Amino acid sequence: MSALITLQNIAKVYGSDNTEVKALWDVNLTITQGDYCSIMGPSGSGKSTAMNVIGCLDRPTQGQYLFDGQDVAQLDDDALAIIRNRKIGFVFQQFHLLPQLSALDNVALPMVYGGVPPAERRQRAAEALQRVGLANRLTNKPSQLSGGQQQRVAIARAIVNRPLLLLADEPTGALDTTTTEEVMAIFAELNQGGITVVMVTHEPAVARLTQRVVWFRDGQVIHTHMDPEEISYGTLVG
Amino acid sequence: MDFGESFQMAVKTLAASKLRSGLTMLGIIIGNASVISMVGLGEGGRLYINQQLQSLGPNILFIVPGNRETRRLGGLETSRNLVLADAEAIAQQVPSVVDVAAENTTPGLITFLNRNANASVIGTNPAFITVRNFTTDQGRFLGDLDMQRNSAVAVLGNALAERLFEDQVALGQSIRVNNVTFEVVGVLAVQGSNLGVNYDDAVIIPITTQASRLVGRTSPFGIEVSFISATARDSESLQTAEFQVTNLLRLRHGIVDPAEDDFFIQNQDTLLSIADTITGALTLMLAAIASISLLVGGIGIMNIMLVSVRERTQEIGLRKAIGASQQDILLQFLIEAVILSAAGGVIGTLVGVSGISLLSLLTPFEATASGAAIVLAVGVSGSIGLFFGVIPARQAAKLDPIVALRSI
Ligand SMILES: Nc1ncnc2c1ncn2[C@@H]1O[C@H](COP(=O)(O)OP(=O)(O)OP(=O)(O)O)[C@@H](O)[C@H]1O
Ligand SMILES: [Mg+2]
Repeated sequence: MSALITLQNIAKVYGSDNTEVKALWDVNLTITQGDYCSIMGPSGSGKSTAMNVIGCLDRPTQGQYLFDGQDVAQLDDDALAIIRNRKIGFVFQQFHLLPQLSALDNVALPMVYGGVPPAERRQRAAEALQRVGLANRLTNKPSQLSGGQQQRVAIARAIVNRPLLLLADEPTGALDTTTTEEVMAIFAELNQGGITVVMVTHEPAVARLTQRVVWFRDGQVIHTHMDPEEISYGTLVG
Repeated sequence: MDFGESFQMAVKTLAASKLRSGLTMLGIIIGNASVISMVGLGEGGRLYINQQLQSLGPNILFIVPGNRETRRLGGLETSRNLVLADAEAIAQQVPSVVDVAAENTTPGLITFLNRNANASVIGTNPAFITVRNFTTDQGRFLGDLDMQRNSAVAVLGNALAERLFEDQVALGQSIRVNNVTFEVVGVLAVQGSNLGVNYDDAVIIPITTQASRLVGRTSPFGIEVSFISATARDSESLQTAEFQVTNLLRLRHGIVDPAEDDFFIQNQDTLLSIADTITGALTLMLAAIASISLLVGGIGIMNIMLVSVRERTQEIGLRKAIGASQQDILLQFLIEAVILSAAGGVIGTLVGVSGISLLSLLTPFEATASGAAIVLAVGVSGSIGLFFGVIPARQAAKLDPIVALRSI
């Protein structure tokens, strides 16, 4: 399998001189196509910062980032927007659905920016919702859905443009155990279908459902291939 | 993402918060309604005054005491130089003039039995009714004999007759004007207000009677008049008449230097152009004042849009994360602002037009919603939305998606 994500000596530094914060420092990481990995580490260790860089939402201060063989540093904002639209799906802890739109319209939104014609949009959005088990909730507004259902709508939105990569920053952080399991089952299924899944989590039980764990501490990658079974509550602290 | 998509999205967003959208539009609605109704009112006023001046007839000349320049400068000089004898001389000696009426107006208290009314007492001569193109409703107008004999006869304006006599017959009754008894010999038809004098609420008596019994002699040169109106033979001889009247009066008043004139002459054209200047300026002023509310409405839109951008930072961040370009976001917010202002413009126009219709019902003005004012108002409010929408829209477009997503 070829590398989808290659981070080389990536650094992300906030502020300048004496107020400097090294959110990421000398990060080297390769994620191949079809990977299903979780990113773990203490709070403030740079997990979200790394996700933003990987998701082309943010540029590193230093280092080289190759995404799908492309040097992202060379691209302007609009080109990055196109990459995010076509190749990356995002799932957030807070769902980030638009309250005024129905589930169907929320899911169809990425296709609006992708220039997909309306008829095809509706059809693909309905399919995506069906894939996450919400075929009967198409017209509901987010406020009419449970947290788990909202997150499933968000997942449908993330996959509707058939991305290469699904990025999820603490996707189960706001969910209870049952709905967490449902969401993880969907991720596993999507990964089976060929989508690379990278997920930040604080829960060892969730991490154990992925193939490997990337461990962050103080802005650096400590382990790139931890066995999820090794994660215990003890390691979480360190 | 094309324009149609952005438009639909903006409509959806605005429809989702109807109250806020409505309130945001309110400023523009009021602005437009006031521009349209104010301009309509101004135009209506202009039309009204023009109609009144036109109704004077094209051949009329007004000879007014005072120097044109000093009068225009607002001098309070009250020239007493124009007298009845001047009017008679014009009637006899100026061939291009057909009829001449002299008018002297004083305030008076009119009494019939126990009813009182304050009204203008207009002393004039029999030619008045032909010069001013008036008609009587009942009885007759003043005659030459009334003038010669200083008869105590009066012709009442229509409204005054109504007020004093109600259902009773006015003709033949005795009324008292400032305690002098007059016999009512006629009632004028409804004339409407005319050059600021309300002839419907006036009592008209022979000017000779007025001088001898009511006001006494006020001028050393004869019976003083407020102004003289004269009709030229036809519109071609208007210029000639003006020239001849000027010469005659200068001769009679012993004036050599035209700058020393103690009278001046106005015809329909000069009155029309004066009125046009005044009403035009008035309309412009009204429009300018109303435009301020339009401007305030525009600023209101900017204000709400700025709040909206702040409130919707997460939405903007999300849209950017899933692939919206800066231009997409810019367009979305700009379109929202333009829709708000243009819709406000259309609604405001409807309100303004209905306001104008109402005004025409309630006032003598036939106010009209001019097409130009409507096009201007809607166009201007659309541009105002565009102009005031740019700053919030740019702010939205430039938001960093990470920062926007993180904000809670
Ligand atoms: N915009 C910013 N300006 C300054 N410092 C920042 C900024 N964003 C993040 N940081 C710092 O970078 C470091 C890494 O932050 P990051 O959000 O990546 O941590 P995290 O591992 O996701 O933590 P958590 O598990 O709490 O979400 C932190 O010390 C944070 O304070
Ligand atoms: Mg984080």
